[in-house]
Amino acid sequence: MSDSLRNVTLSVGQITQLLKQTIEQSFYGISLRGEISNFRPASSGHWYFQLNDEAATISAVMFKNRHWKLSFVPKDGDVVIVVGSIGIYEKRGTYQIVCESMEQAGTGDILALLEQRKRLYEKKGYFAPEHKQPIPKDPKRVGVITSPTGAAVRDIIQVMTRRNDTIDIIVLPAPVQGEDAAAIIAAQIQAANRLKVADVLIIGRGGGSLEDLLPFSDPKVIEAIYASEIPIVSAVGHEIDWAISDFVADLRAPTPSAAAELVCSDKRARLEELASYRQSMTLAIRGRITLAQTLAHRFSLPVMSDYFMRTLQTIRMSLDYAKLSIGQQMHERIVRSKHALELVSGQLHNLSPSAILARGYSITMLEKTNEVVRESSQLASGDTVAIVLANGKLKATVVDGNR
Amino acid sequence: MPYETDIKRMEEIAELLRDNQTTLDKAVALFEEGVKIANRVEKELTEIERKVEILLNPVQETEENTIRTEPFEAL
Repeated sequence: MSDSLRNVTLSVGQITQLLKQTIEQSFYGISLRGEISNFRPASSGHWYFQLNDEAATISAVMFKNRHWKLSFVPKDGDVVIVVGSIGIYEKRGTYQIVCESMEQAGTGDILALLEQRKRLYEKKGYFAPEHKQPIPKDPKRVGVITSPTGAAVRDIIQVMTRRNDTIDIIVLPAPVQGEDAAAIIAAQIQAANRLKVADVLIIGRGGGSLEDLLPFSDPKVIEAIYASEIPIVSAVGHEIDWAISDFVADLRAPTPSAAAELVCSDKRARLEELASYRQSMTLAIRGRITLAQTLAHRFSLPVMSDYFMRTLQTIRMSLDYAKLSIGQQMHERIVRSKHALELVSGQLHNLSPSAILARGYSITMLEKTNEVVRESSQLASGDTVAIVLANGKLKATVVDGNR
Repeated sequence: MPYETDIKRMEEIAELLRDNQTTLDKAVALFEEGVKIANRVEKELTEIERKVEILLNPVQETEENTIRTEPFEAL
């Protein structure tokens, strides 16, 4: 016993206070493992229970604000690991552990095992993208391997009824947790392939604890998925849950409902698309026919008549114009010719001998030779000459030539 | 005939119809083909009644090759 306490008489309050300070300062944030018993959730939502092992028991509490995000509800017999702090309650003289977090013992082990197995299959090439098959766009029948009484199958049927109710569904019943689940799931995958029951398979289940989901990480199931010739969609648990089937399957879906959406096309969307293609073709043929009509119309009687008349009109006008033109030109030519004639006539007239004679001149010709006399040397005295006058002619004898 | 193939053919037909090089009688024939396809696809989408069934073959019977089913309703 500590010397400072030896000769002192403490009150109950004092000793309790000492214990409280000592313990609460030292035992906070500790990790404790034990089996749950006497689990009793209060109406306030807080959890009260005992944690035991062979040697001892300790009271425990986990408040609502700490446990609401746990993925499981503990029950008597569960072995858990809690992290919390010890509290001492003076009024009651009791102590308990106030838990901040809780996990199932062995969860850590299970996860480690799964990670190891996943790495193994990854190395073997089971998750390789080249091995994955495309999910058919037009399945006639979808196979669902799941519990016939679970929420997963109900959700899948609901989604497919809403989205595309022309696709058949066949349920291949299998337990989705427990010891025999893995063997039966694997056997149903093989049966689906052997009997060729569907164009695509969904294997899945609703949410659960890590242990609950284990069958979907079982080697039997992994091998069956890998060997399946029918494409497989793995839909295990909620969005954050996973199993190895998710990696070896041809497609992973976060939930069974999502898987249903992935395997079936939207009927309404297809009908709309179809309507728009119908319209597209109808508009196109209408356009084509209109074009043909327009072209044909060019050769209709009224259009051709009109064209012919216009062409004729043009020709007629040319003709009229040509006629007019010829007339005018002829007229001009005649006028020009007349003038030319007059001019020449005038000239001719001036040049004619009669005109010269009319001015008093006469033409003398040597009778014997009929030469016209221009020079007196042509004549000798005594020659007979004929003299042509403007009016008449006379004969004369040259009296004296050479003047 | 897969839906995608039918859609593609209708697109092709619309394209050909828009092309002025397509002769009129060819265009009419193509249009008729297109309408036939559209009608068939629509029928497939609206008239087919699907079945929801459960497989009765026990998993152990790996020799059995006939499918046995009965109608299924989720609970």
